[in-house]
Amino acid sequence: MTSIDTQFPLELNQSRLSIQKPEPRYDKQGEMADTERLDRAMRGFVKEFGATAALYMESCVHCGQCAEVCQYYVQTGDPRYTPIWKLEPFKQAYKREAGPFSFFFRLFNLKRRVTVQALEEWQELIYDSCTQCGRCTMVCPMGIDIASLVGLARHGMAAAGLVPHELWATVERAKREGSPLGTTPAVLKDRIAWLEDEHNVEIPLDRERADVLMTISSIEVMKYPQSIVALAKIMKRMGASWTFRSDGYEATNFSMFAGDQQGQREASLKLIEAAIAVGARMLILPECGHAYQALRWQGANFYGKPLPFQVLQIAEYLAEGIRQGKLQLQPVRNSATFHDPCQIVRRGGVTEAPREVLRALGVELREMDAHGAYNWCCGGGGGVVTIHRADPLRYKTYQIKMQQVEDTGAEMLVSTCSNCRQTFDDGQAHFHGDKTAQSLLELVADHLVTEQE
Amino acid sequence: MEDTILDAFRKNGLSRRAFLKFCAATASLLALPPAAAAAMAEKLASAPRPTVIYLSYQECTGCLESMTRSFSPTIEHLLFNNISLAFNDTLQAAAGEAAEAARKEAMRKAWGKYILIVDGAVPMGAGGAYCVAAGQSAVDDLRHAAQGAAAIIAVGTCAAFGGVPYAAPNPTGAVPVSEVVRDRPIINVSGCPPIPEVMTGVVVYYLSFGMPALDRQGRPLTFYGNTIHDRCYRRPFYDEGRFAHTFDDEGARNGWCLYELGCKGPVTYNACATLKWNQGTSFPIQSGHGCLGCSEPDFWDKGGFYRPLPAATGHWPRGEVLGGAALGGAVVGVGAAALARSRQQASAAKGAKEVNSLPPKEDSHEH
Amino acid sequence: MSTETDLLDFARGPALEAALIILVFGMFWRLVGVLVLRRPRDLSEPRVRHAWLEGIRTIFTRMWPRREFRPRILHWEAVSYVFHFSLALVILGLVPHILLIRDITGLSWPGLPTGVITFATGVALISLLALLAHRATHPVLRRISNFDDYFSWLLVFTPLLTGLMAYYHLGGRYEDLLAVHMLSAELLLAWLPFSKLAHTVLFLFSRSVTGTIYSRRGAQT
Repeated sequence: MTSIDTQFPLELNQSRLSIQKPEPRYDKQGEMADTERLDRAMRGFVKEFGATAALYMESCVHCGQCAEVCQYYVQTGDPRYTPIWKLEPFKQAYKREAGPFSFFFRLFNLKRRVTVQALEEWQELIYDSCTQCGRCTMVCPMGIDIASLVGLARHGMAAAGLVPHELWATVERAKREGSPLGTTPAVLKDRIAWLEDEHNVEIPLDRERADVLMTISSIEVMKYPQSIVALAKIMKRMGASWTFRSDGYEATNFSMFAGDQQGQREASLKLIEAAIAVGARMLILPECGHAYQALRWQGANFYGKPLPFQVLQIAEYLAEGIRQGKLQLQPVRNSATFHDPCQIVRRGGVTEAPREVLRALGVELREMDAHGAYNWCCGGGGGVVTIHRADPLRYKTYQIKMQQVEDTGAEMLVSTCSNCRQTFDDGQAHFHGDKTAQSLLELVADHLVTEQE
Repeated sequence: MEDTILDAFRKNGLSRRAFLKFCAATASLLALPPAAAAAMAEKLASAPRPTVIYLSYQECTGCLESMTRSFSPTIEHLLFNNISLAFNDTLQAAAGEAAEAARKEAMRKAWGKYILIVDGAVPMGAGGAYCVAAGQSAVDDLRHAAQGAAAIIAVGTCAAFGGVPYAAPNPTGAVPVSEVVRDRPIINVSGCPPIPEVMTGVVVYYLSFGMPALDRQGRPLTFYGNTIHDRCYRRPFYDEGRFAHTFDDEGARNGWCLYELGCKGPVTYNACATLKWNQGTSFPIQSGHGCLGCSEPDFWDKGGFYRPLPAATGHWPRGEVLGGAALGGAVVGVGAAALARSRQQASAAKGAKEVNSLPPKEDSHEH
Repeated sequence: MSTETDLLDFARGPALEAALIILVFGMFWRLVGVLVLRRPRDLSEPRVRHAWLEGIRTIFTRMWPRREFRPRILHWEAVSYVFHFSLALVILGLVPHILLIRDITGLSWPGLPTGVITFATGVALISLLALLAHRATHPVLRRISNFDDYFSWLLVFTPLLTGLMAYYHLGGRYEDLLAVHMLSAELLLAWLPFSKLAHTVLFLFSRSVTGTIYSRRGAQT
C-alpha cells in the first residue's frame, strides 16, 4: 500500500473504518464571527425553500407520530430526537424568510430568530441523531418528507461550517484526495494490481471505451477488497465490456452527508464525466446506499441534463443478469434474512432486485418483521458512523436491528451496502454478537456455477 | 261619586260573582298567585273607573281589530265597555271637531291620571307631516298627550318598536313611541297584532297593581318571558330533528317542526304558543306556517320569513365577493412568493461571492 | 335601537360575511404563496411514468398507518379519527348547519336525527379532551407543541360546546347562546387559514407531492 496522508489518520484496525478520534474537538469549521456564521447558515437555509419544502414546512400538525418510528426517540425516549424537531431552526428560518406570512412573522416575532447558539445545539440533532433513513417520511400523516428536509438543513449547516468534525474531515479529504478514506487514484491502481495478481482475475482500469463504467466505494477498497474481485468475476461471467476509471471511481459522496453541495456536485460530476468519456451506456454503483441517492436521483440535476446512460445499483445488475440466464448460481442451503439499506430500498426504490437475487441463490429467505420499505435503519448511515461522539447513541439504536435479526432465527444476514456492513461489524463487535452482514454481491460471486472451460 | 269598574259590571247586568270570576281568570292568565285575584277584585271594586285615551298613528288598525274581535260577549269586550274609553277614533261614533273637543275635555279632567294607549308608529320625517290629523302632527300630538298620562301602553309592534313603517327603507322616518316619549312609564305590548288576552291582562294588571315587571324591550315578562319555541307543541319534532322541507311534503302534513321553513319561534318572545288566538283556537305554527317573529323589533328586516334562522342575513352577492377574496388572496400569495424568491436570489448571489462557491445554478433539487 | 337579537344579527350578518371572506382570502394567500415558489424540474430518469397518479392515491393510503408502525401509534390515531369523524358528522349532519351551507353554496343533503348529532357532539368533546390531555403530557408533544396547537384546540372545542348549549337552551337566552355559537364558529373559520387547521386543505397537497416523488423512484409511498 502506498503511504496514506496522516493529517487525518485512519483507524485501520477498528471494526469500522473511520477517521481517528481527534483529541481537541472543533465542531466548527473555519474562522469566522458568529454573525457571519449565522448569516451563511440562514442563506444556506433560505436557498432551499422551494415550493415542495415550503409545502412541507406549512403542513406539520404536531402530531408526534414521526418520533414513534424514529430509532433515536424509540430507544432513548428523548423528545429532542423527534424528527420534525430536528428541523426547528430550519422551520424558524422558513417562516421568517420565505413563508407566505413571513412579513408578519418578522413584524410580530411570531417565530424567534435563529441564533448561532441554537445551531450549535442543533448540530447533534441534525447530524448525530439522524441517518436520513426516512422512516419518519413513511409514517407522517401529512406526507412530509422529513428525511429530505434534514438533508436540506444540512446545506445551511455546512455553509456555516457547523458540521461534526470527523464528518467534515472526511469531506475535506475526499475533495483533496478524491477519496474520503485515502483511496487516491494511486492507491486504487495499486490495490487493483495486487488483487488481479492475488486472485487471478482481470480488473480493467482506465480503458478508453467500455459499455459499463464500474464504480466502487472507498470502504470496499480499504476494508472489503474481495468485493472488487467479486465484481470482476461477475462481469466476466456477464461477458460485459467494462472498466474502472481512475478519473471517476469513487461512488461515495460524503459531501452529500455533510451538506456540502459544491463538493457533492464535484464528486458526482467526476463519475458522470468519466462515464461519458468512455462512452458508457451504463454506470454501475457498488454496494453503497447513499451513492445510489447521490447519482441515481440527484446526479442529473447537478449535471443540468438527463444522464446519457443508465444508472444501476449492483443488485439491480445482478438481478438482470439472473433474469437473462447469464448468472447461473449454486444453491445456498442456508436460511438468510435481508437487511434493506435505507437509501437503496425505502428511499431508492430497489426493493425487489435483492430479493430476486436471494431467491435465485436458493436461500430460505426469512424476512424481518419490519422489512422492505418499513425496515429499521442500521444506524450508521447519513455519516453517523463517522462521528465518534455519536457512538453510544448508535449502539443504542443498533440494538433494534440486532433484535430484528435474532428474531428471524436466520443463519445468515445479507445486505447490499458496505456502510451498513461495517456498521454491523462494529455493532456486533461491541455487543459480542455472532452474525455479521454478508455482501449480496460476494455471495453471488462465490456461488457462480463454475464454468467448464 | 264616580262609578267603579264593579259598578260598571253591575250596570251591564253582570253579577258580582261574574266579576270575581273575571278577576280570577285574569289573575291566572297573568300567572299571579291566587291571593292576587282577591287583591285585584278589591282594587277594581274600589277605584274609580279610569279614563283611557286611545290614540292611533301610523297603524293599520289590526291591533284594535284583534282586541275587539268578538262573536259573543267576551271579557275583553266587557272590559272595554267598562273602562271609560274616552277616545278611540275607530270605535267612537263622533267625528270631527266635536270628537276632538270631547277628547281635550276628557284629558283635562283626568290630567295626570289617564291611561294612554297608543298604536301605530310615529313618523318624524318632513317635520312630522306624514301623519297629521286635525291639523296636528302625530309627534306633537303624542308629546302633548303623554304629558298628562299616568302610563302609556304601546300596543302592537308599530307602537312598541316601529313595526311596518319602520321597516327598511323607512321613508317616513317612523319611530316607536319610546323614542318620542322618554319621561313616562311605557309598557310595550308588541305583536302584529298582539293577542287580545295579553292586551286585557296588561290593562287589568296595571289597574290593579301598577307597572308590571318588564323585559329589556319594555314588554311585560308575564306574557313575553318565554319564546314561542319554549312552549311550542312541535318542539319534540325539533328535538328529534324532524323538519318539514316544503309546505306540502310529508313532514308538513305530519305536523313536523317548521324550522327549515323559516320559523323564528326560537328567537320570538310572545304567548302565542300557550294562549293562542281566537280564544285558544290556533296559532300560526299550528296552522302550518312558521312564526314570523312579529312581536320582535325589526322582524321585517331579519333576512326573510322563509330564510331559516341559521341562514345568513346579509344579501351580499356571495359568488362575486368570495371570488374576489380568492383572487385577492392569490395575488397577495404571489406577492409573498415573489418577495421570498427575490430574497433567495439575493442570498444566493451573496453566497456566490464567497470563497469556495460556484454560482449555484444547479443544485441537488432535492426538493 | 338595541334589541335582544343584536348579537345574533351581528353573528348572522357582518360577522359571517367577514369570516367567510377571511377564510377564502387567507387560504388562497397561503396556498398560492407556497405553490408559486420555485419548483425546479427533476431531471433524473423516473422509474415509473405518470407518478402523479400514485400521488393522488397517496392521499388515501396515508389515511391509515402501516402495519409495522401501528403498535406505537394506533391508539391515538384512532382517538384522533373518532374526533374527526364525529366532528364531520356534527358539522355536516345537523339540519341547521346544512341550511347554512345551503344558503351559502346552494348544496344540501338530508340531515341526521338530532339525537345522533348530540351523541356525536359528546363523543367529539370527550375525544378532544383526551387529545388535549395527551398533548399536554406526552414528552414529544410537549416539546413540539406551540400556541397554535392549543389555540386551535380551543377554537374547535368552543363551537362544539356552545352548539350543544344553544341547541338545548342551556345557560342563557337562546339568542345569545346561538350568537355565541355562531361567533365562535366564525372565529374558527377566520383562524383556519393562518394556523395548523389549514391542514384540512394542505393535506391534499403534501401527501400527493410525496406520493409523486416516491412513486417516481419506484419506491413505496
